Amino acid sequence: MRRLDIGDRLLAYLVFAAAVVLVTFFAFQHELPRDWHLPGSPTLYLFGVAGTILLCVSVVFVITKRTGIGGSPLGWFSAHVVTATLGAVLVTVHSGGFLRYAPALLLVALLFLVILGVWARVCLSKDMSATFASREQSFSPLSSEKREQMARLIEEKESLLSRLEPGANEGVFSPRIKHWLTRPGLTLAYARLVGRENKLLGMRASVSTAQAYWRLVHIVLAFAFILGMLGHIITVTFFAGYVSGGGEIYWWHLTKW
Amino acid sequence: MSQLALMIDLERCFGCKSCEAACKQEHRLGPGQYRNKVVWLGNASTGAPDFLTLTCQHCERPACLRACPVHPKAITKDPDTGVVEVHESLCTGCGECVMACPYSAMGYDAQGHHSVKCDLCPERREKELEPACAEICPGYAISFGERDNLLEKAEAEGRHLRDHDHFLLKPQTIYLEKIERENGRVNGAENSSLYEEPRRPRFVDSPAANGVFEEKGPDFPYLHDKKTLQADRVVPGGCNFCFNCCTAKFHFQGDKLINVTGNDEDPVLNGKICPKAQFTLQMHHNEHRLQYPLKRVGRRGDNEFERITWEQALDEIAAKLEVLREKWGTEALAMFVGTRTGLITQKGYARLFSQMWGTPNIQGTDPFCAAGKVVAYEVTHGTNGNGNSYTPEDIGSAGMYLYIGDNQAETRPVYFGKVNDWRIRNKTRMVVVDPRYTATASKADKWLAIRPGTDMALGLAMAHHILSENLHDLHFCDEWVLGWERWRDFIIAKGYSPDWAEAITGIPADEIRALSEDVARADGCVIFGSRGLNQHTNSVQTNRAMMFVAAITGNWGRKGGAYVNMTAGPPIAANAPENRRAKIEKPMARRSPAGWLSAMREGKPYPIKGLITCNNPLAQWPGQDDAREAFKALDLVVHIELFANETSAYADYVLPAAGGIEKGELGRTNDDRRVVWIDKMIDPPGEAKPDGWIWIELGRRLGFGDVMKEEYKDPGKFWDEMCIDNDFLRGVTQKRLHSVPYRWVRFPVASEDAPEQETLYLEGTTATGQLEGKRFPTPSGRLEFWTEALEEKFSKVGLSALPEFYSEKENLLQLPYLEYEHGDDDLEVISPFSKVPTGSRAARIVQPDEKNLGDALRRQGFETTLITGRPPAPHFHSWTHYFWQAQEMWPDLYCQIHPEKAGELGIEDGEKVRVETAHGAIEAMAWVNAGIREDSVFVPIGWGERQPYHPWRSVNFLTDITQRDPASDQTNLKSLLCRISRA
Repeated sequence: MRRLDIGDRLLAYLVFAAAVVLVTFFAFQHELPRDWHLPGSPTLYLFGVAGTILLCVSVVFVITKRTGIGGSPLGWFSAHVVTATLGAVLVTVHSGGFLRYAPALLLVALLFLVILGVWARVCLSKDMSATFASREQSFSPLSSEKREQMARLIEEKESLLSRLEPGANEGVFSPRIKHWLTRPGLTLAYARLVGRENKLLGMRASVSTAQAYWRLVHIVLAFAFILGMLGHIITVTFFAGYVSGGGEIYWWHLTKW
Repeated sequence: MSQLALMIDLERCFGCKSCEAACKQEHRLGPGQYRNKVVWLGNASTGAPDFLTLTCQHCERPACLRACPVHPKAITKDPDTGVVEVHESLCTGCGECVMACPYSAMGYDAQGHHSVKCDLCPERREKELEPACAEICPGYAISFGERDNLLEKAEAEGRHLRDHDHFLLKPQTIYLEKIERENGRVNGAENSSLYEEPRRPRFVDSPAANGVFEEKGPDFPYLHDKKTLQADRVVPGGCNFCFNCCTAKFHFQGDKLINVTGNDEDPVLNGKICPKAQFTLQMHHNEHRLQYPLKRVGRRGDNEFERITWEQALDEIAAKLEVLREKWGTEALAMFVGTRTGLITQKGYARLFSQMWGTPNIQGTDPFCAAGKVVAYEVTHGTNGNGNSYTPEDIGSAGMYLYIGDNQAETRPVYFGKVNDWRIRNKTRMVVVDPRYTATASKADKWLAIRPGTDMALGLAMAHHILSENLHDLHFCDEWVLGWERWRDFIIAKGYSPDWAEAITGIPADEIRALSEDVARADGCVIFGSRGLNQHTNSVQTNRAMMFVAAITGNWGRKGGAYVNMTAGPPIAANAPENRRAKIEKPMARRSPAGWLSAMREGKPYPIKGLITCNNPLAQWPGQDDAREAFKALDLVVHIELFANETSAYADYVLPAAGGIEKGELGRTNDDRRVVWIDKMIDPPGEAKPDGWIWIELGRRLGFGDVMKEEYKDPGKFWDEMCIDNDFLRGVTQKRLHSVPYRWVRFPVASEDAPEQETLYLEGTTATGQLEGKRFPTPSGRLEFWTEALEEKFSKVGLSALPEFYSEKENLLQLPYLEYEHGDDDLEVISPFSKVPTGSRAARIVQPDEKNLGDALRRQGFETTLITGRPPAPHFHSWTHYFWQAQEMWPDLYCQIHPEKAGELGIEDGEKVRVETAHGAIEAMAWVNAGIREDSVFVPIGWGERQPYHPWRSVNFLTDITQRDPASDQTNLKSLLCRISRA
């Protein structure tokens, strides 16, 4: 059954279109007024704002996916793909092609995030598919040692769970944002047990490194990007003097520290 | 409701992958998408194949569910049924659950980007149906129900459960352990730890092999929304792929075929079908189908054609045939019409055409597959085929099953599923004699790895031991076997003892003695033989030797005792009125088309200049280099087929044919005399036409229209009026066939109301069409092993009715073999074993001390025996190679090679190897696997170099046109010396 998600071809068109827009922009940038060359100029500032808003859709996606608030996680996922790509284009235009300073690292991160996402969707999907029926060893004779370890771990989880979410069934429970917000310590402890359990299950060890860690890298990098973006917004808004290095401050700001 | 579950019986599963096909069909899954998968594993030390049906375990603590980061979860466990399900509308496709499942039972749709998994078919459960896999499994290996009930059932049967809960996930899918065999061993291993060192064929799941499906998705109805595909009518019919002849139900939405399932109303096959029957769906919706008549525009073999109309094609072919007749005579036209075309075409339309035209040279695939056993049955028993049935009272009641050269699990899986089920239920002993540890052997109590081409020695030695020890059924021998004493005296005088056979067969003498005693003492033993016995130059004599073992132990004409060498076709014989038949002046050049090549190339014994061919001779005939050279020498080649293949490339005209439910036809021949009718249900693609239509239209242009009537384009009418006018088939009318929901009637039935007979030739009965009291349809009414008339017949081809042992000339041992006194270029010998005058060759048995050709070859490095044969169940000859799923299951041509041999040659599993004989060379992927004799390799048939997904040169580039049985013209395809190297 086909779902209404973004297929590989559409994704490829989307990324290709984004690349064409950027190449075209930078190819003809010299034809444009000065404002289009200065990163964060009043014109490009608007691009930055619009791009940031679009990139924030990904944050919304992360929240809706984990809370169930806001409707279909798949819809939000698709929105995240489209808006992140468009956002990346706008933010890149916002940079004016100015790549010699620290904020350019954000562009690099953004580029990597897009490439990683597209690669995972288009290429790694096949690896995920090929994972099926790849662990016939799990049907081989038992390792009692592993089973004992697992039994102890489950006991620990159940004990912790009785405090974290009384009445919950350990077999189908996994912590949610609610738990992180209300009982962060317990949730962290529980998450560590889950990590140990996954290790015993051979969760990531049984697949390629790329398949095992792409998503983790994607998430960590996205967080890093968000932090970097916040840092960038704060510095250009409140520390415009520092950012300009004594030069012209031509972008919108609140203070010149 | 308590937990629902599947119970998978490892003892019953034989790896046919029918459940996989059913699952993809039910859920419209495409390439790379799985909810279940049958993994072929091999015990590293013994080579025993093992099969693991891997599917969701519906764990009580599902790791997949906990790993899902979505809230609410995209994976849930139903509190009532315990079924773990993916909600695809919530799944964002992150793949965490795929990694989390330690059983790797979570599938992933790489195109749709979401997880997929077994949900135990909720739509089917709503209709009170079993999950598709359980319903269809030919091995009765998958049961479905409430888990507690399944556990009770397992306990009642005394079965042990596999404990695979390493991770305390509490998996709910039940696996029944294999049953322990002799000395507490399972398939030679010391315990049942069959997956401890699993060895799966590396080439099967290779990304390169699966990559071919990426460019374009599968044809309809796969990957279509199953909710929109609801059948509005279901029509019973049958599968027309192979010799199991399964009944099936065809499900339609409007005029579109959307599902193929088994026929649950069939009292014999019980709704079980193998993957091939399900691939019918992929035959009727297939972009590779030939749709329009084509005319060659390039050189022969260049595969360059232009599209033409049927009128033009048939007019031009008819005109060229007339020129051919004028110039060379009618016998210059040969017709190769295999069972692909359907029996009505082969023994009806094409036969009529040949009679009207006047050529003796019409043949099917028989001389490559079964001619040896046909002759053996005919001379011994009076007619081809056994008289038994796959019913609990007959074959199901046997006290022992002995398979010799018959890998039934992969060649007729639905029949094997029944036999294996009876074996388990009745605790029946099963022994398999085969150079390979086949899927069939994996279910046996004992596997005896015989040297290829020496089965005759085994048969003789078994008879020697049985007779020496007075274990034979004296009453049966005296009453019903003519010439048995002469055989006995001959075998004993020759010293064909188990000790003698040990060195030849490679089977220890004690094992031969034990086997003989088991057969003799069993209360009914069914001896199955097949291509492993047939495809040799000693085919007739080997079959007779095995028949003799069956006969002297009383395993003939009884329930639960038989010699079953595969199929016996219904005696269809459409005949033109005598006064309308063209006079045929010359004998058939040779029984085997391999023997026609001389006539094609050199015009000897007389020229064959035109060929109308169906099937795929340029992959299927032995000696492909010779065959292709011969095709180039022809004036006219017409190819009638469903798919463009190697033969099409050499044709002047390619005519697109309809198949199965596109035309209305009979199922193929099968083991137990069921005549299966398949109605025409849909139109063929494009302008493709039924074979019958093509022959009638061609006949009309040549003036045969008064006999090959227009109205006979209706196959039902043709069947009733032209095909069944004999005591065997007179009752198999359209009316009777359509009066049963499973569309088959078991012949012989002399009238429409005559009852079917489960077992023929029982004591006290009279064979069909014989004088009262004649139990067997031989001249004497008894089984005939030696008579003066038989001796005279055999002596005409240089053999004796007494079974003198010989093997193949290309051999690793110094064994007697045949030297031919004729080529294929004369008509000095007319075969005494053919029903129509047919040229033949006399031969003589050469003793190894006289000369030894094998020696010369071995000195050139040809030190391995090549065995060819059928690949696993999803494939059958060329057809299935055009179906994406068969190719997904078994993609590449492979060469099964023993690890010791591979190690010596530096060959690793999954790498490309070159296989070379004195007759040609090919390449294939190495499957390093201990389930084969160390001195042999196996390369399957069916692949061709023009196939769309995984093209490879046919194994018949390695085979030889000259090595043929003088009695039956059967080609040796099972024992050729070869050398292997890394490609």
